[in-house]
Amino acid sequence: MRTILLPSKGAPLVSIRLQFETGAADDPAGREGLAALTGGLLVEGGAGGMSFREILDALYPMAAGIGVQVDREVSVIYGTVHRDHLDAYYDLVRRVVLEPRFDLADFERLREDQVNAITAGLRASDDEGLAKETLNALLHGGDPYGRPVEGTVRGITAATREDVIGFRGRRLTRDRALAGIAGDVTDRFVKRVESDIGSLPAGSPEPPRVPRSRRPEGVELTVVAKPCRAWAISIGHPIAVTRADDDFYPLFLANSYFGEHRTFNGVLMNAMRSKRGLNYGDYSYVENFVQDGGSTFPLPNTPRRAQAFTIWIRPVAPAHAHFAIRQAVRELSHLVEDGMTAEAFEETRAFLLHYSRLWAQTPARRLGFALDGVFYGRKGLIDELADRLPRLTLSDVNAAIRRHLRADALFVAVVADPEGAPDFLERFATNAASPITYDTETQPEVLDEDREIAVFPLHASRERSRIVSAASMFEGDGPDTSL
Amino acid sequence: MRTPPKDAPTFPYPLAETVLDNGLRVVAVPMEAPGLAAHYVVVRTGSRNEVEHGLTGFAHFFEHMMFRGTPRHSPEAYNDVLKRLGADGNAFTTDDWTCYHVTAAAAALDTVMDLEADRFMNLAYGVEAFQKEARAVLGEYNKNYSIPINALLEKLADTAYVAHTYKHTTMGFLRDIETMPQQYDYSLKFFERWYRPDNAALVVAGDVDPDAVFALARLRWEAWRPGAAALSTPVEPAQTDERSAHVPWATPTLPLLALAFHAPAFDAEDIGGRALDVLAQAEFAPTGPTYNELVLEKQWVDWLWAGVEDHRDPTLFLLVARVKEAERVGDVREALERALARAGAERLPPSRIAAVASRLRYGFLGGLQTPDQAAMAVANALQLTGGTGAIDASYRTLARVGPDDVARAAAIFRPSNRTVVTLTP
Repeated sequence: MRTILLPSKGAPLVSIRLQFETGAADDPAGREGLAALTGGLLVEGGAGGMSFREILDALYPMAAGIGVQVDREVSVIYGTVHRDHLDAYYDLVRRVVLEPRFDLADFERLREDQVNAITAGLRASDDEGLAKETLNALLHGGDPYGRPVEGTVRGITAATREDVIGFRGRRLTRDRALAGIAGDVTDRFVKRVESDIGSLPAGSPEPPRVPRSRRPEGVELTVVAKPCRAWAISIGHPIAVTRADDDFYPLFLANSYFGEHRTFNGVLMNAMRSKRGLNYGDYSYVENFVQDGGSTFPLPNTPRRAQAFTIWIRPVAPAHAHFAIRQAVRELSHLVEDGMTAEAFEETRAFLLHYSRLWAQTPARRLGFALDGVFYGRKGLIDELADRLPRLTLSDVNAAIRRHLRADALFVAVVADPEGAPDFLERFATNAASPITYDTETQPEVLDEDREIAVFPLHASRERSRIVSAASMFEGDGPDTSL
Repeated sequence: MRTPPKDAPTFPYPLAETVLDNGLRVVAVPMEAPGLAAHYVVVRTGSRNEVEHGLTGFAHFFEHMMFRGTPRHSPEAYNDVLKRLGADGNAFTTDDWTCYHVTAAAAALDTVMDLEADRFMNLAYGVEAFQKEARAVLGEYNKNYSIPINALLEKLADTAYVAHTYKHTTMGFLRDIETMPQQYDYSLKFFERWYRPDNAALVVAGDVDPDAVFALARLRWEAWRPGAAALSTPVEPAQTDERSAHVPWATPTLPLLALAFHAPAFDAEDIGGRALDVLAQAEFAPTGPTYNELVLEKQWVDWLWAGVEDHRDPTLFLLVARVKEAERVGDVREALERALARAGAERLPPSRIAAVASRLRYGFLGGLQTPDQAAMAVANALQLTGGTGAIDASYRTLARVGPDDVARAAAIFRPSNRTVVTLTP
């Protein structure tokens, strides 16, 4: 095990993050969702002579919680507490990690919740999440990477309490552990944490599996049909770089220019939302991105060995869906062909050097970035950006764009209503023109460009276009496993 | 556990205030935040101000228009300045207020103030930009539409209120959002009426010196002309009979059940309001008996929320449960009503009240780590009351809540004051 310490003299709060290098990618076949269920039950299944209810009672007046975040490759147990309560709080964390009870009633509760997260959550009331998970399934085919962390309905339903106990014993071992502590703590406290984690079973770490990805042939369309008012769209292709690679950083800069998350900096946002009012937002990413709560900043501790370039088009009116996809892909083709200008490069570099500092304003977030650095064998992302961006050149960035981004080979996932889906698929698969009309005033130059967008070649085909029902997604035996 | 003295101030940073000649209140919050500052402009206008027929959702729409430029800064130029600074900027609208916030290097505070003050004084946009933004707002409605809780809350507001503007959500009614492109002239009027220093406040939190903040504020904001319009929101008549409504849902989702009761407006000194906060926590939050019964033991409910959101006008005490099986909705409703009846008839143990007070207090302190969080807490007090005293005052009032106060506050849970809304597939 290793320990990362971020001391901060006099800070009122202490943050703890205990990361284990295991996650949904380690779900056994037929038990898809087991890692998430194990993580959930660890913190909500009672521990060390206390029921979950008694743990909640003890945490309550501290206004603290013991959280868990399970992703594909890592699982993190985390919390922040006022230093007034540190000893009592850590005693609970220790019990959860070392002496989990996995009470049967809690097991049944969490297993049902996890099934509901797919059936009533993702498939029924989260169209944008569904489009993203569909794209992810397309990117990774039948690989465990290609499923939501919650797994499949069949896999979770089949999981038993014994499966959870077995998974914890094999995977949550001291060899896979990394402890992070931030705040004003004593050496004695650090030693106590290290000795506790060190008392976990050894368990020889297996070499990590390299997740499988698939490259699309041309533009491959998957329409997920369910009742909806507007259509959510995700587009992407795998890329061979992560924060461990030098090429990641120029690509990260190019992406900020093209589609920085929830800002008006991006090419996509301005072309699609500001000039045309197509939807609420349009962004792009060069790695898995989860927004941290209500902020616009990336959630730490979702590192992955397999990454993708993705475009997120927020729901559009059905009549505009084909046009919106064409416009996003056309903008991407301009990026790939023309690269960035010197001016855009300088502006974006200046932006990222300052903006990235805002991502680590709390000790908990600083810890998260530090743990990610260990995963990738690098410094934390913000420190890497601070080191590397000043040394980058425009030609580095444009070369990285050409090496890694493609506009002619893309997966497209659309969540669409069942009435409109067949006609959309037919027009899309036959590369029919997709002219747009507005009920609002539009600048003449925008209308001129629209005529070009409407016939921009997407290279879709009937063989590589299909409709699946939302109800079959992530069921465990439906089309999702054969995507 | 150490407990703080009951009259100790709750807000952990100094609050320095001044009022400019035009009526703009400026609050500086110096705190440990190496090199960073958060700049929050509070406009005390939200969907509560939408008293005119057919114009619901306009306060939120107008928030979008504030990013559409001035003669000095086109929208692109505005964004370019923030981009160069690497700033994080955005805005949001609620029932009662609109907030415009930028977080950047403290050294860039003058640039940020110059940029922000310019748009509050000199906003100017054309019809084309106005209409495109109206459709982006429709896109925002569309993205929210697939989420059942939004549909439930929309129906709940429409059912629980008959006269007050809280009858519509901040997004507004869909029919009004669809006709927004035609309201260009009204948007100019909206700006004239409400975007005035005497209806606004400024908070700057972070690595700043209050005197320097005040000097910059005078330089950049003093030219803003006062003259906010008077608002008279319709008075909601007392409810006399239970109301109910149902939302059918087209896809398989978990049923939602909401119970709402008319409750008082926010008042930091009102022990009844804080007693409702205590009750919501003591009974329905994790560790509360109803949470234990419905979520952990019977496992009928996977999500339970209770409480009063602070509002300027009389508002709702809201209870929302997500029920795992449609057949259990009636049982869950009975359990919730039993708990509410118990709240009036029995007395909470003082130890439970102390645990709740500790929870609320440490929860509040734990959420004040960054300049954004500190500025937000101050901005919220300003929008509710016009001043900053409400922060500490409300925690002092909270510390005085006793078992009898909670039981008295529970008088609002009479059936004739109740609205029940369900959502099922």
